[in-house]
Amino acid sequence: MARLFLGGICGLFIGQQAMAERMVADLSRHVIDITSRFTGTQLLIFGAIERKIIQKGRGYGTAVKGSDYDVIVVVQSKRRNIIIRRKEKLGPIWANREFLTLENVPGFYALASTGPIKSILSQQQLSRIGVGFGQLKMTFKQQTSPAEAAAFRQGFIRNMRAKKLYSQPQGTISILDGLLFRAILDFPANMPVGNYRVDIYLVRDGKVVLAEQSPLEVNKAGLERFIYNFAHGYPAFYGMAAVLMALVAGLLGGFMSRKMSA
Amino acid sequence: MQIYLPIAEISINVFLLLLMGGLVGFVSGMFGVGGGFLMTPLLIFVGVPPAVSVATVANQITGASVSAALAHARRGGIDYKMGAVLITGGVIGSFFGSMIFALLRDMGQVDLMISLAYVLLLGTIGGLMFIESVHSMLRNRRGDMPRPSRRPRTWVDALPFKVRFRTSKMYISLLMPLAIGGLVGVLTAVMGVGGGFIMVPAMIYLLNMPIKVVIGTSLFQITFITASVTFLHSVNTQTVDVVLALVLLVGAVIGAPVGARVGAKLKAEQLRILLALMVLVVCGKIAVDLMSRPAEIYSVFLAGGLH
Repeated sequence: MARLFLGGICGLFIGQQAMAERMVADLSRHVIDITSRFTGTQLLIFGAIERKIIQKGRGYGTAVKGSDYDVIVVVQSKRRNIIIRRKEKLGPIWANREFLTLENVPGFYALASTGPIKSILSQQQLSRIGVGFGQLKMTFKQQTSPAEAAAFRQGFIRNMRAKKLYSQPQGTISILDGLLFRAILDFPANMPVGNYRVDIYLVRDGKVVLAEQSPLEVNKAGLERFIYNFAHGYPAFYGMAAVLMALVAGLLGGFMSRKMSA
Repeated sequence: MQIYLPIAEISINVFLLLLMGGLVGFVSGMFGVGGGFLMTPLLIFVGVPPAVSVATVANQITGASVSAALAHARRGGIDYKMGAVLITGGVIGSFFGSMIFALLRDMGQVDLMISLAYVLLLGTIGGLMFIESVHSMLRNRRGDMPRPSRRPRTWVDALPFKVRFRTSKMYISLLMPLAIGGLVGVLTAVMGVGGGFIMVPAMIYLLNMPIKVVIGTSLFQITFITASVTFLHSVNTQTVDVVLALVLLVGAVIGAPVGARVGAKLKAEQLRILLALMVLVVCGKIAVDLMSRPAEIYSVFLAGGLH
Protein backbone atom coordinates (compact mmCIF):
# COMPACT_ATOMS: atom_id res chain seq x y z
CA MET A 1 0.00 0.00 0.00
CA ALA A 2 1.11 3.47 -0.82
CA ARG A 3 2.79 5.34 1.93
CA LEU A 4 1.79 8.89 2.15
CA PHE A 5 4.20 11.67 1.73
CA LEU A 6 3.46 15.27 1.91
CA GLY A 7 6.33 17.56 1.49
CA GLY A 8 7.38 20.81 0.01
CA ILE A 9 5.22 20.50 -3.05
CA CYS A 10 1.98 20.28 -1.17
CA GLY A 11 3.24 22.76 1.33
CA LEU A 12 3.67 25.21 -1.52
CA PHE A 13 0.21 24.38 -2.69
CA ILE A 14 -1.26 25.27 0.69
CA GLY A 15 0.76 28.45 0.65
CA GLN A 16 3.33 27.88 3.34
CA GLN A 17 6.24 27.94 0.88
CA ALA A 18 9.59 27.22 2.41
CA MET A 19 8.17 27.63 5.90
CA ALA A 20 6.16 24.41 5.59
CA GLU A 21 6.56 21.36 7.78
CA ARG A 22 6.28 17.84 6.56
CA MET A 23 3.88 15.11 7.67
CA VAL A 24 4.07 11.40 6.94
CA ALA A 25 1.06 9.31 7.90
CA ASP A 26 -0.28 5.87 7.28
CA LEU A 27 -2.92 3.39 8.44
CA SER A 28 -2.18 0.11 10.17
CA ARG A 29 -4.01 -1.47 7.23
CA HIS A 30 -5.83 -0.29 4.16
CA VAL A 31 -8.20 -3.23 3.86
CA ILE A 32 -10.58 -4.44 6.55
CA ASP A 33 -12.01 -7.90 5.93
CA ILE A 34 -15.33 -8.91 7.40
CA THR A 35 -15.21 -12.65 8.06
CA SER A 36 -17.50 -14.97 10.00
CA ARG A 37 -15.73 -14.13 13.25
CA PHE A 38 -15.89 -10.38 12.70
CA THR A 39 -17.07 -8.48 15.77
CA GLY A 40 -15.79 -5.05 14.86
CA THR A 41 -12.20 -3.90 14.71
CA GLN A 42 -9.75 -1.14 15.47
CA LEU A 43 -7.71 0.87 13.05
CA LEU A 44 -4.47 2.55 13.98
CA ILE A 45 -3.66 5.77 12.20
CA PHE A 46 -0.16 6.98 12.86
CA GLY A 47 2.29 9.48 11.53
CA ALA A 48 5.18 11.79 12.12
CA ILE A 49 5.50 15.54 11.91
CA GLU A 50 8.79 16.88 10.62
CA ARG A 51 9.42 20.43 11.77
CA LYS A 52 12.84 20.73 10.18
CA ILE A 53 12.74 21.32 6.49
CA ILE A 54 15.33 21.89 3.81
CA GLN A 55 15.74 25.58 3.16
CA LYS A 56 16.71 26.69 -0.32
CA GLY A 57 20.43 26.10 -0.45
CA ARG A 58 20.88 26.96 3.22
CA GLY A 59 20.72 23.64 5.10
CA TYR A 60 17.89 23.02 7.54
CA GLY A 61 15.56 25.36 9.27
CA THR A 62 12.72 24.99 11.69
CA ALA A 63 9.32 25.84 10.39
CA VAL A 64 7.90 27.41 13.46
CA LYS A 65 9.45 27.66 16.85
CA GLY A 66 7.51 26.98 20.04
CA SER A 67 4.28 26.26 18.31
CA ASP A 68 1.99 23.34 19.17
CA TYR A 69 0.46 21.08 16.63
CA ASP A 70 -2.96 19.51 16.60
CA VAL A 71 -4.09 16.55 14.53
CA ILE A 72 -7.62 15.76 13.40
CA VAL A 73 -8.44 12.42 11.74
CA VAL A 74 -11.72 11.81 9.92
CA VAL A 75 -12.77 8.40 8.59
CA GLN A 76 -15.91 8.21 6.49
CA SER A 77 -17.57 5.69 4.23
CA LYS A 78 -18.94 6.25 0.77
CA ARG A 79 -21.78 8.74 0.71
CA ARG A 80 -25.28 7.57 -0.03
CA ASN A 81 -28.90 8.44 0.44
CA ILE A 82 -30.47 7.47 3.74
CA ILE A 83 -34.17 7.48 4.57
CA ILE A 84 -35.18 8.69 8.03
CA ARG A 85 -38.61 7.72 9.30
CA ARG A 86 -40.46 9.06 12.30
CA LYS A 87 -42.95 7.10 14.36
CA GLU A 88 -46.18 8.71 15.41
CA LYS A 89 -49.01 7.52 17.55
CA LEU A 90 -51.79 6.18 15.34
CA GLY A 91 -54.70 5.26 17.57
CA PRO A 92 -53.26 2.83 20.13
CA ILE A 93 -50.07 1.97 18.24
CA TRP A 94 -46.85 3.64 17.18
CA ALA A 95 -46.15 3.51 13.46
CA ASN A 96 -43.79 5.09 10.95
CA ARG A 97 -45.43 8.12 9.35
CA GLU A 98 -43.33 11.01 8.07
CA PHE A 99 -40.08 10.33 6.26
CA LEU A 100 -37.32 12.40 4.70
CA THR A 101 -34.45 11.29 2.48
CA LEU A 102 -31.02 12.59 3.41
CA GLU A 103 -28.87 12.98 0.34
CA ASN A 104 -25.21 12.01 0.19
CA VAL A 105 -24.35 11.34 3.80
CA PRO A 106 -21.67 8.88 4.90
CA GLY A 107 -22.94 5.63 6.41
CA PHE A 108 -19.95 5.69 8.75
CA TYR A 109 -18.24 8.73 10.21
CA ALA A 110 -15.57 8.74 12.90
CA LEU A 111 -13.50 11.67 14.02
CA ALA A 112 -10.55 11.69 16.39
CA SER A 113 -8.51 14.68 17.47
CA THR A 114 -5.88 15.87 19.92
CA GLY A 115 -8.47 17.98 21.73
CA PRO A 116 -11.95 19.47 21.43
CA ILE A 117 -12.24 20.40 17.75
CA LYS A 118 -13.91 23.70 18.57
CA SER A 119 -10.81 24.81 20.42
CA ILE A 120 -8.52 23.58 17.65
CA LEU A 121 -10.23 25.31 14.75
CA SER A 122 -12.68 28.17 14.41
CA GLN A 123 -16.24 27.45 13.37
CA GLN A 124 -15.44 28.99 10.00
CA GLN A 125 -12.43 26.73 9.49
CA LEU A 126 -14.37 23.65 10.59
CA SER A 127 -17.14 24.28 8.13
CA ARG A 128 -14.65 25.02 5.35
CA ILE A 129 -13.10 21.56 5.61
CA GLY A 130 -16.34 19.95 6.77
CA VAL A 131 -15.11 18.36 9.98
CA GLY A 132 -17.49 17.19 12.71
CA PHE A 133 -21.13 16.04 12.69
CA GLY A 134 -22.24 19.62 12.90
CA GLN A 135 -20.51 20.37 9.61
CA LEU A 136 -21.86 17.45 7.59
CA LYS A 137 -23.89 18.73 4.70
CA MET A 138 -27.27 17.25 5.36
CA THR A 139 -29.74 18.26 2.72
CA PHE A 140 -33.07 16.60 2.21
CA LYS A 141 -34.56 15.49 -1.06
CA GLN A 142 -37.97 16.70 0.05
CA GLN A 143 -39.11 20.22 0.88
CA THR A 144 -39.51 20.73 4.59
CA SER A 145 -39.56 23.40 7.27
CA PRO A 146 -36.29 24.28 9.02
CA ALA A 147 -37.65 23.02 12.36
CA GLU A 148 -38.60 19.66 10.87
CA ALA A 149 -35.28 19.37 9.08
CA ALA A 150 -33.43 20.04 12.34
CA ALA A 151 -35.50 17.46 14.22
CA PHE A 152 -34.87 14.82 11.54
CA ARG A 153 -31.14 15.63 11.46
CA GLN A 154 -30.90 15.19 15.22
CA GLY A 155 -32.87 11.97 15.04
CA PHE A 156 -30.47 10.76 12.35
CA ILE A 157 -27.36 11.60 14.39
CA ARG A 158 -28.83 9.94 17.51
CA ASN A 159 -29.57 6.79 15.51
CA MET A 160 -26.12 6.64 13.97
CA ARG A 161 -24.41 7.27 17.32
CA ALA A 162 -26.48 4.54 18.97
CA LYS A 163 -25.40 2.12 16.24
CA LYS A 164 -21.80 3.30 16.78
CA LEU A 165 -21.66 4.28 13.12
CA TYR A 166 -21.07 7.94 13.95
CA SER A 167 -18.59 8.91 16.62
CA GLN A 168 -16.33 11.82 17.41
CA PRO A 169 -14.18 11.05 20.42
CA GLN A 170 -12.06 14.13 21.08
CA GLY A 171 -8.71 14.29 22.73
CA THR A 172 -7.87 10.68 21.90
CA ILE A 173 -4.87 11.48 19.74
CA SER A 174 -1.61 12.06 21.52
CA ILE A 175 1.46 13.63 19.97
CA LEU A 176 4.72 12.25 21.36
CA ASP A 177 7.46 14.84 21.70
CA GLY A 178 5.65 16.95 19.20
CA LEU A 179 6.75 14.48 16.55
CA LEU A 180 4.77 11.25 16.50
CA PHE A 181 1.03 10.92 16.64
CA ARG A 182 -1.26 7.96 16.79
CA ALA A 183 -5.02 7.58 16.73
CA ILE A 184 -7.02 4.43 17.35
CA LEU A 185 -10.51 4.31 15.89
CA ASP A 186 -13.16 1.72 16.70
CA PHE A 187 -15.28 0.13 14.01
CA PRO A 188 -18.45 -1.74 14.92
CA ALA A 189 -19.50 -5.11 13.41
CA ASN A 190 -22.30 -3.43 11.47
CA MET A 191 -19.99 -1.08 9.57
CA PRO A 192 -20.99 -0.63 5.94
CA VAL A 193 -18.82 -2.26 3.28
CA GLY A 194 -17.23 -0.27 0.47
CA ASN A 195 -14.59 2.37 -0.05
CA TYR A 196 -13.74 4.66 2.81
CA ARG A 197 -11.71 7.78 2.90
CA VAL A 198 -9.38 8.83 5.69
CA ASP A 199 -8.47 12.51 6.07
CA ILE A 200 -5.65 13.60 8.33
CA TYR A 201 -5.34 17.29 9.13
CA LEU A 202 -2.34 18.92 10.73
CA VAL A 203 -3.26 22.14 12.48
CA ARG A 204 -1.03 24.92 13.74
CA ASP A 205 -2.18 28.21 15.24
CA GLY A 206 -5.81 27.59 14.32
CA LYS A 207 -5.02 26.89 10.70
CA VAL A 208 -4.88 23.67 8.72
CA VAL A 209 -1.31 23.57 7.47
CA LEU A 210 -1.34 20.11 5.94
CA ALA A 211 -4.10 17.80 4.79
CA GLU A 212 -3.48 14.20 3.89
CA GLN A 213 -5.84 11.66 2.41
CA SER A 214 -5.68 7.90 2.40
CA PRO A 215 -7.95 5.17 1.06
CA LEU A 216 -9.48 2.42 3.16
CA GLU A 217 -11.48 -0.49 1.91
CA VAL A 218 -13.97 -2.54 3.91
CA ASN A 219 -14.95 -5.85 2.37
CA LYS A 220 -16.73 -8.99 3.31
CA ALA A 221 -14.22 -11.78 2.96
CA GLY A 222 -14.15 -15.52 2.60
CA LEU A 223 -17.44 -17.36 2.88
CA GLU A 224 -19.31 -14.24 4.01
CA ARG A 225 -18.29 -12.44 0.85
CA PHE A 226 -19.22 -15.40 -1.30
CA ILE A 227 -22.66 -15.77 0.31
CA TYR A 228 -23.40 -12.06 0.13
CA ASN A 229 -22.31 -11.74 -3.50
CA PHE A 230 -24.16 -14.91 -4.43
CA ALA A 231 -27.38 -13.69 -2.78
CA HIS A 232 -27.24 -10.31 -4.48
CA GLY A 233 -25.71 -11.32 -7.81
CA TYR A 234 -27.63 -14.52 -8.55
CA PRO A 235 -30.73 -14.33 -6.35
CA ALA A 236 -32.63 -17.12 -8.11
CA PHE A 237 -29.75 -19.59 -7.83
CA TYR A 238 -29.16 -18.48 -4.26
CA GLY A 239 -32.81 -19.20 -3.45
CA MET A 240 -32.55 -22.68 -4.95
CA ALA A 241 -29.29 -23.33 -3.09
CA ALA A 242 -30.88 -22.18 0.19
CA VAL A 243 -33.79 -24.60 -0.30
CA LEU A 244 -31.42 -27.42 -1.19
CA MET A 245 -29.25 -26.73 1.85
CA ALA A 246 -32.29 -26.79 4.15
CA LEU A 247 -33.51 -30.06 2.64
CA VAL A 248 -30.14 -31.78 2.93
CA ALA A 249 -29.55 -30.49 6.48
CA GLY A 250 -33.08 -31.43 7.52
CA LEU A 251 -32.83 -34.96 6.11
CA LEU A 252 -29.41 -35.47 7.64
CA GLY A 253 -30.64 -34.21 11.00
CA GLY A 254 -33.70 -36.44 10.90
CA PHE A 255 -31.56 -39.42 9.97
CA MET A 256 -29.15 -38.76 12.84
CA SER A 257 -31.82 -38.28 15.49
CA ARG A 258 -33.48 -41.55 14.36
CA LYS A 259 -30.13 -43.34 14.68
CA MET A 260 -29.60 -41.89 18.15
CA SER A 261 -33.03 -42.76 19.49
CA ALA A 262 -32.93 -46.26 17.93
CA MET B 1 -18.41 -17.17 20.28
CA GLN B 2 -19.71 -14.52 17.92
CA ILE B 3 -20.71 -15.28 14.36
CA TYR B 4 -21.18 -12.70 11.62
CA LEU B 5 -24.34 -13.24 9.59
CA PRO B 6 -23.63 -12.23 5.98
CA ILE B 7 -27.17 -11.22 4.99
CA ALA B 8 -28.51 -9.92 8.31
CA GLU B 9 -25.17 -8.04 8.59
CA ILE B 10 -24.96 -8.39 12.34
CA SER B 11 -22.62 -10.23 14.66
CA ILE B 12 -24.38 -12.48 17.14
CA ASN B 13 -23.51 -15.18 19.66
CA VAL B 14 -23.72 -18.56 17.96
CA PHE B 15 -24.69 -20.33 21.20
CA LEU B 16 -27.62 -17.95 21.68
CA LEU B 17 -28.82 -18.90 18.20
CA LEU B 18 -28.34 -22.62 18.89
CA LEU B 19 -30.21 -22.24 22.17
CA MET B 20 -33.09 -20.46 20.42
CA GLY B 21 -33.18 -23.11 17.71
CA GLY B 22 -33.11 -25.82 20.37
CA LEU B 23 -35.87 -24.22 22.47
CA VAL B 24 -38.14 -23.72 19.49
CA GLY B 25 -37.31 -27.26 18.34
CA PHE B 26 -38.20 -28.50 21.83
CA VAL B 27 -41.53 -26.66 21.74
CA SER B 28 -42.31 -27.89 18.24
CA GLY B 29 -41.44 -31.47 19.18
CA MET B 30 -43.57 -31.24 22.31
CA PHE B 31 -46.66 -29.79 20.68
CA GLY B 32 -46.24 -31.03 17.15
CA VAL B 33 -46.22 -27.52 15.70
CA GLY B 34 -43.65 -25.96 13.38
CA GLY B 35 -42.59 -23.24 15.77
CA GLY B 36 -42.13 -20.50 13.18
CA PHE B 37 -44.55 -18.31 15.14
CA LEU B 38 -42.05 -18.39 18.04
CA MET B 39 -38.82 -18.32 16.04
CA THR B 40 -39.57 -15.21 13.98
CA PRO B 41 -40.44 -12.96 16.97
CA LEU B 42 -37.46 -14.35 18.93
CA LEU B 43 -35.08 -13.44 16.11
CA ILE B 44 -36.55 -9.95 15.93
CA PHE B 45 -36.14 -9.56 19.72
CA VAL B 46 -32.42 -10.38 19.50
CA GLY B 47 -31.86 -7.82 16.76
CA VAL B 48 -32.13 -9.63 13.43
CA PRO B 49 -33.88 -7.28 10.96
CA PRO B 50 -37.57 -8.34 10.74
CA ALA B 51 -37.44 -8.88 6.98
CA VAL B 52 -34.44 -11.19 7.33
CA SER B 53 -36.12 -13.04 10.23
CA VAL B 54 -39.26 -13.81 8.22
CA ALA B 55 -37.45 -15.02 5.10
CA THR B 56 -34.83 -17.00 7.01
CA VAL B 57 -37.33 -18.78 9.25
CA ALA B 58 -39.21 -19.90 6.13
CA ASN B 59 -35.91 -21.37 4.93
CA GLN B 60 -35.33 -23.07 8.28
CA ILE B 61 -38.84 -24.59 8.37
CA THR B 62 -38.21 -26.30 5.02
CA GLY B 63 -35.38 -28.22 6.65
CA ALA B 64 -37.24 -28.80 9.91
CA SER B 65 -40.33 -30.29 8.21
CA VAL B 66 -38.86 -32.39 5.41
CA SER B 67 -37.70 -35.21 7.67
CA ALA B 68 -41.03 -35.43 9.51
CA ALA B 69 -42.91 -35.29 6.21
CA LEU B 70 -40.89 -38.25 4.93
CA ALA B 71 -41.64 -40.20 8.09
CA HIS B 72 -45.38 -39.67 7.48
CA ALA B 73 -44.94 -40.63 3.83
CA ARG B 74 -43.45 -43.98 4.83
CA ARG B 75 -46.50 -44.63 7.01
CA GLY B 76 -48.82 -43.64 4.16
CA GLY B 77 -50.01 -40.61 6.07
CA ILE B 78 -50.01 -38.19 3.14
CA ASP B 79 -52.82 -37.45 0.72
CA TYR B 80 -50.64 -36.43 -2.23
CA LYS B 81 -53.49 -35.27 -4.40
CA MET B 82 -54.81 -33.00 -1.65
CA GLY B 83 -51.23 -31.92 -0.94
CA ALA B 84 -50.75 -30.95 -4.59
CA VAL B 85 -53.91 -28.82 -4.57
CA LEU B 86 -52.88 -27.13 -1.33
CA ILE B 87 -49.40 -26.49 -2.72
CA THR B 88 -50.81 -24.99 -5.92
CA GLY B 89 -52.85 -22.58 -3.83
CA GLY B 90 -49.87 -21.98 -1.54
CA VAL B 91 -47.45 -21.13 -4.33
CA ILE B 92 -49.89 -18.57 -5.73
CA GLY B 93 -50.45 -17.20 -2.21
CA SER B 94 -46.74 -17.00 -1.43
CA PHE B 95 -46.14 -15.19 -4.72
CA PHE B 96 -48.58 -12.43 -3.77
CA GLY B 97 -47.42 -12.52 -0.15
CA SER B 98 -43.81 -11.88 -1.11
CA MET B 99 -44.90 -9.04 -3.44
CA ILE B 100 -46.86 -7.41 -0.62
CA PHE B 101 -43.82 -7.91 1.59
CA ALA B 102 -41.43 -6.21 -0.85
CA LEU B 103 -43.87 -3.34 -1.38
CA LEU B 104 -44.35 -2.72 2.34
CA ARG B 105 -40.62 -2.91 2.89
CA ASP B 106 -40.07 -0.10 0.41
CA MET B 107 -42.74 1.91 2.23
CA GLY B 108 -41.00 1.34 5.59
CA GLN B 109 -44.03 -0.49 6.96
CA VAL B 110 -42.88 -4.09 6.91
CA ASP B 111 -42.04 -4.21 10.65
CA LEU B 112 -45.44 -2.82 11.54
CA MET B 113 -47.17 -5.27 9.22
CA ILE B 114 -45.30 -8.23 10.74
CA SER B 115 -46.17 -7.11 14.29
CA LEU B 116 -49.83 -6.47 13.50
CA ALA B 117 -50.20 -9.78 11.69
CA TYR B 118 -48.67 -11.58 14.66
CA VAL B 119 -50.88 -9.88 17.22
CA LEU B 120 -53.99 -10.58 15.19
CA LEU B 121 -53.23 -14.17 14.33
CA LEU B 122 -51.65 -15.27 17.61
CA GLY B 123 -54.33 -13.49 19.62
CA THR B 124 -57.09 -15.28 17.73
CA ILE B 125 -55.48 -18.72 17.63
CA GLY B 126 -54.20 -18.57 21.20
CA GLY B 127 -57.51 -17.29 22.54
CA LEU B 128 -59.56 -19.94 20.71
CA MET B 129 -57.20 -22.69 21.73
CA PHE B 130 -57.25 -21.60 25.35
CA ILE B 131 -61.05 -21.46 25.53
CA GLU B 132 -61.38 -24.78 23.73
CA SER B 133 -58.92 -26.61 25.96
CA VAL B 134 -60.43 -25.21 29.16
CA HIS B 135 -63.85 -26.37 27.93
CA SER B 136 -62.65 -29.87 27.14
CA MET B 137 -60.85 -30.10 30.47
CA LEU B 138 -64.06 -29.19 32.31
CA ARG B 139 -66.00 -31.67 30.16
CA ASN B 140 -63.55 -34.43 31.03
CA ARG B 141 -63.78 -33.62 34.70
CA ARG B 142 -67.55 -33.97 34.54
CA GLY B 143 -66.99 -37.27 32.78
CA ASP B 144 -68.80 -36.38 29.56
CA MET B 145 -67.48 -38.07 26.48
CA PRO B 146 -67.54 -36.15 23.24
CA ARG B 147 -69.89 -38.06 20.98
CA PRO B 148 -68.38 -39.16 17.70
CA SER B 149 -70.41 -37.49 15.00
CA ARG B 150 -71.01 -38.27 11.35
CA ARG B 151 -69.32 -35.94 8.92
CA PRO B 152 -71.80 -33.08 8.70
CA ARG B 153 -72.74 -31.49 5.39
CA THR B 154 -71.74 -27.85 5.25
CA TRP B 155 -71.59 -24.99 2.76
CA VAL B 156 -68.23 -26.42 1.65
CA ASP B 157 -70.08 -29.28 -0.02
CA ALA B 158 -72.10 -26.81 -2.09
CA LEU B 159 -69.07 -25.41 -3.96
CA PRO B 160 -68.48 -26.36 -7.62
CA PHE B 161 -65.47 -28.16 -9.25
CA LYS B 162 -65.76 -31.27 -7.14
CA VAL B 163 -62.93 -33.77 -7.25
CA ARG B 164 -62.45 -37.17 -5.65
CA PHE B 165 -59.58 -37.56 -3.16
CA ARG B 166 -59.04 -41.29 -2.75
CA THR B 167 -56.62 -41.30 0.16
CA SER B 168 -58.85 -39.03 2.23
CA LYS B 169 -62.00 -40.76 0.93
CA MET B 170 -63.55 -37.41 0.08
CA TYR B 171 -65.42 -35.88 -2.81
CA ILE B 172 -65.17 -32.10 -2.42
CA SER B 173 -64.67 -28.89 -4.36
CA LEU B 174 -61.16 -27.89 -5.41
CA LEU B 175 -61.87 -24.29 -4.43
CA MET B 176 -61.74 -24.80 -0.68
CA PRO B 177 -58.26 -26.43 -0.45
CA LEU B 178 -56.97 -23.94 -3.04
CA ALA B 179 -58.18 -21.02 -0.90
CA ILE B 180 -56.77 -22.51 2.31
CA GLY B 181 -53.43 -23.20 0.61
CA GLY B 182 -53.41 -19.66 -0.76
CA LEU B 183 -54.05 -18.11 2.65
CA VAL B 184 -51.31 -20.16 4.26
CA GLY B 185 -48.94 -19.20 1.40
CA VAL B 186 -49.55 -15.50 2.08
CA LEU B 187 -49.01 -16.01 5.82
CA THR B 188 -45.76 -17.91 5.26
CA ALA B 189 -44.43 -15.15 3.03
CA VAL B 190 -45.31 -12.21 5.29
CA MET B 191 -44.94 -13.79 8.73
CA GLY B 192 -42.29 -16.48 8.47
CA VAL B 193 -44.54 -19.23 9.81
CA GLY B 194 -45.20 -22.66 8.38
CA GLY B 195 -48.90 -22.15 8.94
CA GLY B 196 -49.53 -25.60 10.41
CA PHE B 197 -51.61 -24.05 13.18
CA ILE B 198 -54.04 -22.80 10.52
CA MET B 199 -53.69 -25.67 8.08
CA VAL B 200 -54.39 -28.46 10.58
CA PRO B 201 -57.63 -27.00 12.02
CA ALA B 202 -58.74 -26.00 8.52
CA MET B 203 -58.23 -29.55 7.26
CA ILE B 204 -60.09 -31.03 10.21
CA TYR B 205 -62.98 -28.61 10.53
CA LEU B 206 -63.41 -27.14 7.04
CA LEU B 207 -62.34 -30.01 4.80
CA ASN B 208 -63.29 -32.81 7.22
CA MET B 209 -60.20 -34.79 6.27
CA PRO B 210 -59.50 -38.01 8.18
CA ILE B 211 -57.17 -37.32 11.13
CA LYS B 212 -54.59 -39.92 10.03
CA VAL B 213 -53.63 -37.97 6.89
CA VAL B 214 -53.97 -34.43 8.31
CA ILE B 215 -50.54 -34.02 9.95
CA GLY B 216 -48.62 -35.74 7.15
CA THR B 217 -50.34 -33.78 4.39
CA SER B 218 -49.85 -30.54 6.33
CA LEU B 219 -46.11 -31.23 6.73
CA PHE B 220 -45.87 -32.22 3.07
CA GLN B 221 -47.33 -28.94 1.89
CA ILE B 222 -45.38 -26.87 4.47
CA THR B 223 -42.11 -28.25 3.06
CA PHE B 224 -43.06 -27.07 -0.41
CA ILE B 225 -44.61 -23.72 0.53
CA THR B 226 -41.67 -22.67 2.72
CA ALA B 227 -39.33 -23.69 -0.12
CA SER B 228 -41.34 -21.51 -2.50
CA VAL B 229 -41.26 -18.60 -0.02
CA THR B 230 -37.50 -19.00 0.46
CA PHE B 231 -37.01 -18.82 -3.29
CA LEU B 232 -39.33 -15.81 -3.76
CA HIS B 233 -37.79 -13.81 -0.90
CA SER B 234 -34.32 -14.59 -2.25
CA VAL B 235 -35.32 -13.20 -5.63
CA ASN B 236 -37.44 -10.23 -4.48
CA THR B 237 -35.72 -8.95 -1.36
CA GLN B 238 -32.45 -10.91 -0.86
CA THR B 239 -33.31 -11.41 2.80
CA VAL B 240 -32.64 -15.16 3.24
CA ASP B 241 -29.62 -15.71 5.47
CA VAL B 242 -28.45 -19.31 4.92
CA VAL B 243 -25.88 -19.15 7.72
CA LEU B 244 -28.57 -18.13 10.22
CA ALA B 245 -30.99 -20.75 8.87
CA LEU B 246 -28.38 -23.50 9.19
CA VAL B 247 -27.48 -22.63 12.79
CA LEU B 248 -31.16 -22.52 13.79
CA LEU B 249 -31.75 -25.81 12.03
CA VAL B 250 -28.95 -27.52 13.95
CA GLY B 251 -30.50 -26.32 17.22
CA ALA B 252 -33.97 -27.42 16.16
CA VAL B 253 -32.82 -30.90 15.12
CA ILE B 254 -31.35 -31.40 18.60
CA GLY B 255 -34.29 -29.89 20.47
CA ALA B 256 -37.21 -31.54 18.67
CA PRO B 257 -36.76 -35.18 19.82
CA VAL B 258 -36.27 -34.04 23.44
CA GLY B 259 -39.48 -32.03 23.25
CA ALA B 260 -41.32 -34.97 21.72
CA ARG B 261 -40.28 -37.22 24.60
CA VAL B 262 -41.43 -34.68 27.21
CA GLY B 263 -44.66 -34.07 25.30
CA ALA B 264 -45.48 -37.78 25.32
CA LYS B 265 -45.58 -37.69 29.14
CA LEU B 266 -48.10 -34.84 29.34
CA LYS B 267 -51.86 -35.03 28.83
CA ALA B 268 -53.27 -33.65 25.59
CA GLU B 269 -55.31 -30.92 27.31
CA GLN B 270 -52.43 -29.81 29.48
CA LEU B 271 -50.31 -29.57 26.36
CA ARG B 272 -52.93 -27.52 24.55
CA ILE B 273 -53.35 -25.09 27.45
CA LEU B 274 -49.58 -24.70 27.71
CA LEU B 275 -49.28 -24.04 24.00
CA ALA B 276 -52.20 -21.58 24.11
CA LEU B 277 -50.57 -19.69 26.97
CA MET B 278 -47.26 -19.57 25.13
CA VAL B 279 -48.94 -18.21 22.01
CA LEU B 280 -50.78 -15.58 24.09
CA VAL B 281 -47.56 -14.48 25.85
CA VAL B 282 -45.79 -13.94 22.51
CA CYS B 283 -48.85 -12.07 21.24
CA GLY B 284 -48.99 -9.91 24.37
CA LYS B 285 -45.31 -9.00 24.18
CA ILE B 286 -45.63 -7.85 20.56
CA ALA B 287 -48.81 -5.91 21.35
CA VAL B 288 -47.19 -4.11 24.30
CA ASP B 289 -44.18 -3.22 22.13
CA LEU B 290 -46.48 -1.77 19.49
CA MET B 291 -48.38 0.35 21.98
CA SER B 292 -45.62 1.67 24.21
CA ARG B 293 -43.79 4.82 23.26
CA PRO B 294 -40.54 3.82 21.51
CA ALA B 295 -37.28 5.04 23.07
CA GLU B 296 -36.33 6.52 19.70
CA ILE B 297 -39.04 7.63 17.31
CA TYR B 298 -36.65 8.18 14.42
CA SER B 299 -35.12 5.29 12.51
CA VAL B 300 -32.75 5.13 9.55
CA PHE B 301 -32.86 2.98 6.44
CA LEU B 302 -30.43 2.82 3.56
CA ALA B 303 -32.30 4.09 0.52
CA GLY B 304 -32.89 1.03 -1.65
CA GLY B 305 -30.86 -1.06 0.78
CA LEU B 306 -31.49 -3.98 3.05
CA HIS B 307 -32.59 -2.47 6.33
